[in-house]
This record gives sequence, C-alpha cells and structure tokens, in this order.
Amino acid sequence: MMEKREALAQMFSAKGSRINTNRGEAYYNNLMQTMTLRLQELEKSPAASKVSIEAVLETEGLNRRDFMKWASAACAALMLPSNFTPLIAKAAELMNRVPIIWIELQDCAGNSEAILRSDSPTIDELILETISLEFNETLMAAAGHAAEAHLEEAMHTFKGKYLCVVEGSIPLAMNGLYGTIGAKGETFEEHLLRVAKDSAAVVAVGTCATFGGVPAASPNPTGAVGVQDVVKGKAIINIPACPANPANITGTILHFVLTGQVPELDHLNRPKFAFGYRIHDNCERRAHFDAGEFVEEWGDAGAQNNFCLYKMGCKGPMTFNNCSIVRYNSGTNWPIGAGHGCIGCSEPQFWDKYAQERPMADTHFKAPTGGVEKTVDEFGLGLLTAAGIGIGIHAAASLIAGKKEGDE
Amino acid sequence: MSYKKIERMTGFMRLNHWVVAISMVVAIVTGLYIGHPYYQSFIADPAVDKYVMAWNRLAHFIVAIIFDVSSIVVAYLYFFSRFEKPYKKLLPTLKNIKEFFDVLINLLTLNRVKKFDSSHTDSFNSIFFFVFHMMLIWMLLTGLQLYVHGLASGISSIGAWWPWILHVATDWTLVATGGTNMDVRLSHHYTMYAIIVWVMFHVYYQVWRTIFWKEGDISIVVGGAKYVKE
Repeated sequence: MMEKREALAQMFSAKGSRINTNRGEAYYNNLMQTMTLRLQELEKSPAASKVSIEAVLETEGLNRRDFMKWASAACAALMLPSNFTPLIAKAAELMNRVPIIWIELQDCAGNSEAILRSDSPTIDELILETISLEFNETLMAAAGHAAEAHLEEAMHTFKGKYLCVVEGSIPLAMNGLYGTIGAKGETFEEHLLRVAKDSAAVVAVGTCATFGGVPAASPNPTGAVGVQDVVKGKAIINIPACPANPANITGTILHFVLTGQVPELDHLNRPKFAFGYRIHDNCERRAHFDAGEFVEEWGDAGAQNNFCLYKMGCKGPMTFNNCSIVRYNSGTNWPIGAGHGCIGCSEPQFWDKYAQERPMADTHFKAPTGGVEKTVDEFGLGLLTAAGIGIGIHAAASLIAGKKEGDE
Repeated sequence: MSYKKIERMTGFMRLNHWVVAISMVVAIVTGLYIGHPYYQSFIADPAVDKYVMAWNRLAHFIVAIIFDVSSIVVAYLYFFSRFEKPYKKLLPTLKNIKEFFDVLINLLTLNRVKKFDSSHTDSFNSIFFFVFHMMLIWMLLTGLQLYVHGLASGISSIGAWWPWILHVATDWTLVATGGTNMDVRLSHHYTMYAIIVWVMFHVYYQVWRTIFWKEGDISIVVGGAKYVKE
C-alpha cells in the first residue's frame, strides 16, 4: 500500500530536465559571495592530503595556462558565468581539503579504471588524484583488519564532512550474501549504510551504483539495486554512465567544494549540468538523421560516410548525457564518434531496454501476453491478426445466419 | 413501405470524421518510419536535397496537432453540441446499461435479437467511441513526452511556457509506463496497434449494421443521415 502511495506521489512530482542558465545578476552575485566565504573557510582548514594540484600539474608537464584553460571550461560546464573562473581554479587548488571515502561494491571497477588508467590524463583526472581520498578499496595498500581500522578512523575524524563516493550496485537477494567485504564479512548493504550514515552527501558513480546497471539486468539473480534504493534520508547525487565521465565526477565534487551543497538535480537525481541535454541534440551525426541517411550494415557506404547510426540501434534520441560535448579519454572521442551507436548507458534499466543494438521500434521485450521476447510490431501484428480472425468469424457467421433468415 | 430520414451527423461532424481518418493514416505511415526507417533516401542525392526523417517527423507532428485539436473539439461537442450530446449516453444509468447490453446481444446473436431504438446513437457505440478518445488522449500525452525530450534547454520558439507545460502535463507518463524513456515510447507504439484494432472493428461494425439493420447506416458519415422504416 505504502509503495503504491509513494509511486502516486512520485507520479505527480517528477521534475523535468529544464535548466535555467540565466538566473539574473542578483542570484550570481549572491552565489559568488557564498562561494568566496566557503573557500576562505576551507583554506583555513588544514590540508588533509599533501598532494597539491600545482605539484601534480608540474609532474605532468602542464603549466598554469593549461590549468586556467581547464578552469574556464569547467566553469562553462557547471553553467556558471565566466567571472566564476578564478573561483573554480581556487576550488581545484583546495580539493585536497575535502575528505572522500570511496567504496567499491558489486561492479567491475570500471569507473576507477576510467580515471586511473588513462595514459594522458586530463586535468579533470589529475584533480581527482589530489582529492583527499581517505579510503579506497581498489587503491589502498592496507588490507583486512588494518583497512577496517583505517575506515573507522577516517569516518570518525571527518564525521559529517566527508563525501561518500559509491561505485557498484548493492545485491539484496539472499540477505545480501552475494557480496561481502572485509574481515568481518559485512554485506555490501551493511557496508554502504555504515559509511553513508555519517557522510555529508553520497555520490553514486557509474550506472551500477545509480540504477543497478548491468548486475541488475534481467533476471537480476543477485537482486542488485542502486544506492538510492538503499540509502534513505541523505543527499544523493547520481552520476550514471558506463563508465561515468571523470569530467562529471570532478564537476560534482567541484560544486560541492564551492558551495558545500549538491548541484541542481533532475528527476533521476542526476546533476543537470551534465545530464540536462540529450545526446541526440548535440550529436555530430544529427544532420544525417534529419536527412534520413542511415548506416544500414556495419562497414557499408553509409558507415564510411559517418551516416547516422539510428538503424544500428543508437539510443541517442532517448539518452540524456553530455558525452557528445565533453567526450571521453581527454576529449579524444566518444562511442558515436567511433562509429558505434549510443547504448543509453546513463539511463535506468539500460541493459534491458536500451543496449539492444536494434532500431527503437525493434527493441525486444517481454510482451504483455508473456512468453519469449518480441518486438512491439510482432506483438501488434499478432493483435491485428487476432482481431481480423474475430471479425472474419463474425462476418461469416452473420452471412450464414442472414441466409437462413431469408430462407424462412 | 416508406422510409424516414434521420439526421445523424452535421456537416462539421462529417468533415471532422474524415480529417481524423486521414490524420490517422498519415500518423501511422510516418510513425512507423520514425520508429524504424523502412525506406532509404537516395544516397547519390546531395544532403541538401534530403530531409526525409525531418519531413516524416514534421508530418507526424502536424497531423498529431490536427488530430488533437479535432479531438478537443469533439470533447467539447460531447457536452455542448446543440445537435446531439453524446455524454448523455455515457452516463452509467440503468437505461444506458440496458441499452449497452441490448446492442451487444444484437451483435453477438447476429442480429437475431434487436430490442432497442437504432435510429439514434446508442450507448454501445458511445462507449466504444469513448475508448477511442481515451486512447487518443494517451497518444497525445505519451507523444508530447517524447517530443519534450528535444526541448531540454527549456526554451522553444514559442516561449519557455511550452516545454514547462509539457513537463507538468506529461512527466507522469514516465512513471506510469515503467520509469524509462523507452517505456513511454513502447507504450506509444503499442497504443497505435490498439487504435488500428479499434478502426478495424469500427469499419466492420458500420458495414455490418448497414447490411443487417437495413437502415443505410454507412451513409451517416457521407450524407449525414440514415433511413428508418416508418
């Protein structure tokens, strides 16, 4: 009953993805003041990590100018006016004062990998190196009881101040025994609830942590769900995509550093600055879509001419993300640029409903009549045939009955 | 034996009927293309001459608007028509319920039992049309939800109120169909088939009535009147 009521309440409170990029001078002056005060306070607090962005940039052979170029781009990405650029740069320098506890649940660690493994890291990725990462199962040297003690210590020291970053889904089937962690055999659910409890906000990174992702795909044997289904009563920021774009992770953390608050979110709790626009509307192949020029087969003339991938199953028209603008791997490329359609990885239930490599109308799904998966058209043609047979029987019967009446 | 002429549809109602019928055919032809482009544009043509998907989408939206406006007019006529007020046949009164089943029994017994006045709109047909109008409203809401995805900036050529009102009016269809954009699209596509089934039965039933009731029902939508034995 409660669930139904909640669903009803949600039905009438779903927010659209409208983004207000011009809120007037008074708003921005106010925001600038809040941010300046917040940064001054942060500057007074001791650096939790000794790594500074200057040192990291120097090691990578990047100069102050590159850094400022990045700051102005990040400023635009967060949809702030350009006079906020110095504040963004300052915030990036103060990143090492925000403690972060990063936990890893049921996933492939792909989001960590996406950030760590690039051979020419962007400044976004480098900034994530300077954050004060207090705990991260993938990276830290400690193990077993030592790691547990370290986590306890970090949670105690930064109580109410740290950001809890979560990667991976939470298996709930069999009382959560599909995933346990640590020397005490804590389930992922208990682990997440314990760490999230004293955090300032929870950041779910990647589609597994946000919506359950691939582990939650049908038939979902482990009962995997996203963070927002487990953690209640906390500010939760979802940064989906598979993997989540480092630029969006940095942007969200930057926003937290600047304001101490979560950024404006859409109805799926995704930051609007990153997930407010549709891939399709900023796609370099969009003109081919409008012209009706489609790739019909891998490697055909259309593919060689960078035609639209809609008929190869591109789900750009239903997917909200900024990868068509920000791209991946230092802005090198992105899936559609590389010649493969979007699989909708930043949308809920993407593996079952988007990543099917077929045009939208040919999506296979469980038909209302049950049985094996069908397309809407297969089901619809079945429906039309049934209606036709029904009408045919009635017509034939009417004719025969009508004749009898005439005979009488 | 003489026949009495009974006016059933005004000129405007007949015009509205055929506008809806043509809109529906265009919406189905273009809608199927949008879901899965089933013919190719000429690859040798320069891109500037081709606008195939865009024309299909434009046609789809235009007929949707015509469809919606005419449905709103019909909804208005349900209550305020000076000719015939169909809502009176929709109310669940004893008389209407009895008439509904009388007409249904007539259809199922192949016109053996006819215990109702067939000269005017009956409750069965009124309810049948009510189902159609509900499906059209559902198509309108899901269609506009799919449409507003392209207005993510929150602005449009006619102002910011338009995407705002679309979100307010249609965002609940996301939750109602299963929570993803794809579910709304599937529902929109499904409902098309339900409407086609409705049309098949509608056409069959009108022809069947014409043949078996022998009152010239088919001419209602052309000449506006049917003829009942006096």
